[in-house]
Amino acid sequence: MRESWRRIRAVAANTFLEAVRQKVFAVLLIFGLVLLGGANYFAEFSFQEQFKFLKDLGYAAISLTGLLVGLLGAAQLIPAEIERRTILTALCRPLRRWEFVTGKYLGLVSLLSVMLGVMGAVFWAVLRWKETQLIGMEGAGEEVVRAIQAEARDPRLWQAFVLVAAKLFVVSGLAVFFSTLATSTTFVVAMTLMVYLIGHLQSVAREQWLESGEVAGWGLKIFLAAVALLVPDFNLYSLIDEIVAGNAVVWRSTLQVAGYSAAYVGVLLAAAAWLFEGRDL
Amino acid sequence: MKPAVFTRALRKEFKLGWGRGRVLALEGLDLEVQRGEVFGLLGPNGSGKSTAMKMILGLLRPTSGRAEVCGCPAGTLAARRQIGFLPENPYFPAFLSGGELVRYYGKLSGMGGRTLEARVQELLALVRLGGEAGRRPLRTYSKGMLQRAGLAGALVSDPEIIMLDEPTAGVDPAGSREIRDLIRELKERGKTVIFSSHLLEQVEDVADRVIILHRGQKLREGRLEELLTQTGEWQVRAKGLGETQRRELNAWLIQHGAEVVQEGLPRERLEDYFLRSLPEQERR
Repeated sequence: MRESWRRIRAVAANTFLEAVRQKVFAVLLIFGLVLLGGANYFAEFSFQEQFKFLKDLGYAAISLTGLLVGLLGAAQLIPAEIERRTILTALCRPLRRWEFVTGKYLGLVSLLSVMLGVMGAVFWAVLRWKETQLIGMEGAGEEVVRAIQAEARDPRLWQAFVLVAAKLFVVSGLAVFFSTLATSTTFVVAMTLMVYLIGHLQSVAREQWLESGEVAGWGLKIFLAAVALLVPDFNLYSLIDEIVAGNAVVWRSTLQVAGYSAAYVGVLLAAAAWLFEGRDL
Repeated sequence: MKPAVFTRALRKEFKLGWGRGRVLALEGLDLEVQRGEVFGLLGPNGSGKSTAMKMILGLLRPTSGRAEVCGCPAGTLAARRQIGFLPENPYFPAFLSGGELVRYYGKLSGMGGRTLEARVQELLALVRLGGEAGRRPLRTYSKGMLQRAGLAGALVSDPEIIMLDEPTAGVDPAGSREIRDLIRELKERGKTVIFSSHLLEQVEDVADRVIILHRGQKLREGRLEELLTQTGEWQVRAKGLGETQRRELNAWLIQHGAEVVQEGLPRERLEDYFLRSLPEQERR
């Protein structure tokens, strides 16, 4: 088991190193600039509206950056290794195929985690900078200062952060799953995006399936059941929007979504490893 | 002791997909490579050499038949622990340096710590990539350097069997000679070397035994001296004969019923001449 973990770690570290040397982190610079630029807009609005805009922008930028890196990174993990044939020199060693798939995924998750960490820190710094700027400008009483501080230091933002990470890990898991079937990155990106979009309609499909009863034909029922059972429910992550809108979301719900995501990733990786096991290289 | 590699009726067909049928890559290969042998897989492109190698490595699943490595079914971890592999082209992660590549392969083989580090340094020195060369990214390497780095990677876990797929393809004569010297050195250390090539002269230099494949089928197999020795003729190379003695020798041979098939000044092989022409330090 220890040797197995050592091999998984080696694959993960190599995947991470490759991304670093390909200068993937340069995208963080663009993220930082977008956020800093956005923080200076809408100065004529109230501080609540300014914070709302900043949080919307921040989470949208974090999600989009993470989605691009996660999706494109995961889509390349295995097809690129097959295309460059570097997979041959790795898998001819005493390395199990599931270890390879798991290592690749963990390498990508490490990359995303570091990026999310940096983006979170930048986001936090921009919020605090905005707080200082607004307090200085308003010159208002203690009550307003407290309200500004409450907006800037809202602990629920960390909840949203956990949810963004969970969502990105599931999307990456989906891309890794498809990449064990495909030889082309385009196929993996297209399939993952399709499932991502269907995932936002998953709850509708589930309700339709449960309520379809006598109305729907067998074909439609099977389709709805397949969507409801196989596709992750991406609507669950709409809690992020609730948090950004300032609505209360309990930690229990956040952790439940995180647990759901972890379980989904586990199933995806197991299926990916199983499919990859029988593949000729 | 079980043979290093054993295959029985090993067959591989590839599905072409979309109902286009199948293509036969290897047909019922029976093979036995003994430990400590240098074994050459010969054949033109598409003859099934790489397919056979990949099935022994567990990268391809046989359609039927079986393959074993040191008595373990091919593709199992136990079998792969016994093999180091150098692919035909430098299929290595180009973002790594030579040293990082060997270290990475060592880790994939379950090695770590000081043992791995010592082994990495030892192998880099062996393939002449020690010092600054070992720290450079692989994308800056020449083909010969890449092959040497790959060879160090194949040897990192000190495997019993080393499989080399076209190890000298695209490598200059000096590099090619160097790889052949290394094969001989591995044999002296008791390793089994299996390599494929279509550069027949080079195979002749190092192989103990060969198999000739064509369109997935075995045409010939045997020890080189058995396959290549022409038993109906006799060859003598002599020094110090003058013109008169040569004529006398010819006459004597004819008088005793021999037919002189070839005579004249011997020629050096172009490769040997080329290597001799290079400055001493560049021959290795």
